[in-house]
Formats: sequence, structure tokens, C-alpha cells
Amino acid sequence: MTGSVIVLRLYVAGNAPNSVRARANVKEICDEYFHARYDLEVIDMLEHPRRALDDRIIVTPTLLKLSPPPLGRVIGDLSDRKQVLLTLGAK
Amino acid sequence: MTVKRDARNEELVRLLFEAESTIQALLAGQIDAVVDPKSKTPVLLSKAQDALRESEERYRRIVETSNEGIWSIDLDSNITFLNRPLAKMLGYTVEEMLGKPLQTFMSQSTGARAALRIDHSREGGSDESEAEFVRKDGGALWGLLKTTPILDVDGQYAGTLAMMTDRTRHRAAEEALRNSQEQYRQIVETTTDGIIKMDDRARVVFVNRRFAEMLGYMPAEMIGESIFTFMSAAGEAIARGSMQSQLSVRPPVDTTFRHKDGRDISVNVASTQLVDDNGNRIGDLAFVRDITEQKKLQSQLMVSDRMASVGTLAAGVAHEINNPLAAVIANLDYMSDSLVNLCDGDKPRMSDAWFREEMKSPLDDAREAAQRVRFIVRDLKIFSRSPNEEPCGAVDVNAIMESSLRMAWNEIRHRARLTKQFGVVPGVDANEARLGQVFLNLVVNAAQAMPEGRAEHHEIRVTTRLEKAHVIVEVSDTGPGIPPEILGRIFDAFFTTKDIGVGTGLGLAICHRIVTDLHGELTVQSEVGIGTTFRVSLPVASDEQPLPVVTEIAPVIGRRGKILVVDDEMLVLSSLHRVLSKEHDVTTVLKAKDALALCTSGKRFDLILCDLMMPDMTGMDLHRELTSLIPEQAAKMIFLTGGTFTAEGQRFLSETSKEHVEKPFHPANMRAIVQRHLR
Repeated sequence: MTGSVIVLRLYVAGNAPNSVRARANVKEICDEYFHARYDLEVIDMLEHPRRALDDRIIVTPTLLKLSPPPLGRVIGDLSDRKQVLLTLGAK
Repeated sequence: MTVKRDARNEELVRLLFEAESTIQALLAGQIDAVVDPKSKTPVLLSKAQDALRESEERYRRIVETSNEGIWSIDLDSNITFLNRPLAKMLGYTVEEMLGKPLQTFMSQSTGARAALRIDHSREGGSDESEAEFVRKDGGALWGLLKTTPILDVDGQYAGTLAMMTDRTRHRAAEEALRNSQEQYRQIVETTTDGIIKMDDRARVVFVNRRFAEMLGYMPAEMIGESIFTFMSAAGEAIARGSMQSQLSVRPPVDTTFRHKDGRDISVNVASTQLVDDNGNRIGDLAFVRDITEQKKLQSQLMVSDRMASVGTLAAGVAHEINNPLAAVIANLDYMSDSLVNLCDGDKPRMSDAWFREEMKSPLDDAREAAQRVRFIVRDLKIFSRSPNEEPCGAVDVNAIMESSLRMAWNEIRHRARLTKQFGVVPGVDANEARLGQVFLNLVVNAAQAMPEGRAEHHEIRVTTRLEKAHVIVEVSDTGPGIPPEILGRIFDAFFTTKDIGVGTGLGLAICHRIVTDLHGELTVQSEVGIGTTFRVSLPVASDEQPLPVVTEIAPVIGRRGKILVVDDEMLVLSSLHRVLSKEHDVTTVLKAKDALALCTSGKRFDLILCDLMMPDMTGMDLHRELTSLIPEQAAKMIFLTGGTFTAEGQRFLSETSKEHVEKPFHPANMRAIVQRHLR
């Protein structure tokens, strides 16, 4: 089971509007396509700037797909569902 | 190389793609923040900044206008945030509190508990509790406290968020309520009155300790029982009557409760109806005062006041007696001299004229004078006769007033003319002695209102008449009158205008009480310079019986009987012997013991006239002995009494329904009584 879990990390900027939307969108997509088999970490870049640097984040919101490979990255409020699914490798 | 170049190409494509999508996202307005490439710190885009500020502002407003105090503490319990309402509640400014340890603002006990709660919070628990804070001015503030742990992104405990509602006023109200309940409880348990609460079916819901003690129970024994369980039938009738009253304040009633040991306890009960919010009757509340002692004291006071009245009059009465007594002695002396002359004289002069002159008329005079003494003594007896203070049936108001006037005559005659206007009135239910006390008081008061020496200028007017179903007795004087400011107080106990030593100040108060007890009214009318009128109104006796007037029975000639007379007074014995020995065989003895000895030795009598009260063996003792030894002789006994007899004597007479003859007696009467018994 663990092997098939998709691990995601979303960088946001507090409760800024695009960040709030991005959080809601990623949650909705994951619930729909991966059911319980996903691990999503939400990080506020304003509070944890160092971690953002480590992940080479330049803007928020940014969604990282950490596993399974290949790594993927979606920028924006994640309202383009097609593109998000393409990056996450879901059909 | 190719691989490397390919990898580099791939990375470049990826970066380009990233840049592309970043630019597109930026253009689409989907970006909130960018990392400043120089400082490597995130910078909010202005639009996001506005939105953020707006949302923050919204939360801030909610937090700052809240009625609750809100704050957060960090891992070291230092305050990291607080809203203005919290600072205001505690009397500080926000700045004064920020960064300080939370415990600074708590009472010691709450602070200690808070430490424990924070530990609990560290483990992720929420909490709700009462806490005592200390205001800047030192005052206490009680709050209902809600705490929630703050967790960081990694789910680690990072502090506590807390909210607090001010409960100081609630607490004060609760405390006030507790205090007042405690106060009521103390009043209820320490009052000398008994207190009963009953439900709508007169069952006891609550009694205080005092009431339970009054009747010899434990409070728990009384709860749930009908209140009527603790009353005699008469008490229950009074209680039911009073409880039927719909008045919110019922007049207090005198009644009785029954003690556990069967005694009746005299009480005064003030009761009130309990109603719910809709006005429905839900029960009764009663305050019960034990008046046993009060009643005892009252009757003692009445007796002592009567004795005082009689005492004041003793001198006058002695004077009243001395006058006729002087006449008796003078006439008897005269007769004695005449008889000596008769015997010593040379020739007896026994003509009718002589006899009338020397014997009959001084004898008649002496008898008339003696008769007056008899009346005075009878009047005196009225004032000390009754061993109890209860009404004893219908009494003749006019006769009692006559006695009172005779008693007070010495007080009246130097001060005023006496005018009597007696109407024909029916009897009233009263006790002779007590009613006599009232009349004597009123008459003496009237007399003393006027100065001595101008009797022809003043008048005491005594009237009796029937008005509807009441007998009215009025005593008026032509004294100075009573000023209006005093008039309202004259029935108060211990109020007196007389000099110290002259009056007790109890007279009118007791008169008022006596008349009220007889269901009558005592009122006063007075005009300064004209005079005063006291008015007694008494209801006509319910079962009016003809008064026992002295009935002179015509002498009857009958058979000769054997009669035994027992009396410890030699004079009584000899006079009875003289009166009866012509018609009967009379034996006299001075002691009841001798009478008993005669009977047990076999002597039989047709009638035994026996004094009731004698030293050693009384008439009652003799009757008891004869009843068990020779009942047939006991049945022949009738008693002679001096009028004043003990409670025991009275009980004896009413129980045995034995006839008794009061001393002094009229010879003809005595002969008639004896004849009646021999028939």
C-alpha cells in the first residue's frame, strides 16, 4: 500500500486568496482521484521561508509531487485540473 | 556526454516550462508571493497583501469586539497575544500584559491548576474550568476558561489558545443567594416561633426545630403527616376555619396543638396562604407562638390586680362593716342590760308594750344590722370566690354592679352623687369575679376622677340596658375628662396617670382583656371639662338560665328526724341545735372523726349536715369513708359551706352533685331544707 501512496507538498502564503483556493483545489482533486491514498503537506512560505528555499520555490502557490517519480511541479491556484492531473501522473 | 547534455537539456526544458507556467500563473493573477532573489525572503504581492490584510482585519475585529477575553501563551506560558477585552477585564493595558507569564494574573490556586492544565494541553487536551484572576486593583475576577492547544505544522505543541468569560457577577449573585438562604435558614432555626409549611392538602412539608420541640417530636417525624394529626378535635376545627380564609393576611388565632404526650399546648397562630405565580393555592405557611406561659402570667396578673383592688377597698369595707356591727353590739348590750334589770327588779313588767320596747325592737335592729354585714361579706366573696377564671354560666349584671357599687361606696360618697338606672336585662356568660373586677375598676376610676369634698356638684351615673343582643353597662363621671392624646393609650398595660403607688396601670388593660375574652367590647368616650363614659357591651348568654336567687322556702311541718350536725365551729353547732332541736332529735359533733365513730358504732341518722372544710378530716373525707363503709349513711349527707372553697371542694360538689347550703343561712330556710330531705 505504502508504495502506491502519492506524496505531495503545497507551498502557500498564509491565507492569501490564491493560497486558500490552491489548498481547496488540491484537496478536492486528491480526494477524488487518490481517495485516502495520498500524503499532503501544506507549508506556509511566510512562516517557513527556509524550507521554501530548500525546495527552490520562487512563487506561491506551488504544488510539488515528491513521489512516485518523476518529480512534478504545478504553479498557480491549481484551478486547471487537467494540468494538475497530468503532472501528478493520474489519468 | 550525450546523456549529460540530454540531462542538461531536460533540466533546461523543465526550468523553461516552469518559468512559462510561472509567468502564465502570474498573468492569470494566481500568484500570492514571490521569493526576492536578493534577500531570499518571501514577498507578498500587493493584491494578496490587501486580501490578507482584509481577512486579518476581519478576524481582528471579531477578536477585539468579543465579550470574551482571548489570549495565547507560548511554551514558557508567556502571553504571546491578548485581545483588548481581556486587558480591560483585568484593568491593564494590552502592552502591560504582553510577554508576561500568565500566572502573574491569576490567583495562587488557579495558577497552580493552570500549570497542570498546560501539561494536559501539551498532550493535546482541551479544557473548560472556572478560574480566579487577580485584577490590577487587587480585586478578584472569576472566569469560565476554555483552552485549546496550538499545534505547529509538525503537530508539535506550540502553545495554548484560551478564551475566558467573566463570571464575577454570576458568582457574586450565586454567593448572595447562598448567603441569603443561609440567613433565612438561621432565622428559621433560631426563632422562638414554630414555623410550619404545608402543601395544598395540609400535609407538613417543613417544620423548624422549634415547632417540633414544642410538640415533643423530631422534625422528620412530622414531615408528610397531616397537620391535623397534631391537634385535638377543637384545635382542628379552629385551624380548618382559619385555613378556609382566602385573605392573604389572616387574623392570628388562639388555639391549641397536641403534644406527643397528649397535653394541649396553648398557641397563637399567624398563618398565610401560599400561592404560585398563577395565583393557585399551593399550601399554607404558619407561625406558631407558644402562649402557655403568657396565659398563666395573664391570669396571675388578673388575680393580683383584683387583690390590689380589693386591698385598696379594704379600709372602706372595714368601715362599712363597723357601722352595722356597732349597731348589733349596742342593741345586744341594751337587751342584756334590760334582762339584768328584769331579773333584779322587784316586780317583772312583762307587758306587751314593755316586751316590744325592751326586747323585740332592739333585736330587730340588731338583726337588720347583721343582715347588712352579711351583704357586705357576700359582696367581698364575689371578688375572691372563684378558684378558676373561666365563665361559669349566665350571671346577673345588675347584681354584680350592685355589689361593686357597695364595695366602692366609700370611694364614691365623698366625691359624687350616685345615680343608678338599671334596666331589666338578661344574664350574660361571664365569671362573676372577673366581671365584678371590671365594674369595680370602672366605678373606682370614675370616683377617683373627681375631687373629694364636693359630692353635691358631681355625679356618677351607672346605667344598664338591653340593646339588641347585648347588655350595655355604662359608667359615667363628671370629672375633668381624658385629653384626646392620652385617650388612645388608656387600655395599654402599665399606662397610668395616677401617682406611683396608687394604681398599677394594669386595671383598664385587664378590664379590656376580660371583656374581650367574654366576646364583649369595652369602649370609652370622653370630653375634656365634661366627663368620661366607659361602656361595656356583653352578648346575652346563649343558654340563659334563671339565676340562683335565694329562694325562701315556706316552713313545712313534717316528721321528726334524727339529725347529726358536724361543724368545727361551736357557734354554728349551737345555733343549728337551737333552730332544729324543737322539730328533730339533733346530735352535734365538732369533728368529722367523731361523726364517723358514731356511724360505725351503729348509730343511724336520717340526715347528716356536715361542714365541707374542716381541719384534720374534712367533710369530703367523711363522705368518702362513709361511702365505702356505710353507703346508705353517705347518701344522707348534705354539706354546709362558707362560700369560699377550694378547687378540690368545688370539684367534689360537682362530681357528687351533693346539695350544699351556704353559710350564713336563714333559720326558716334551714328548717325547710331539712324537712325536704326527711320526706
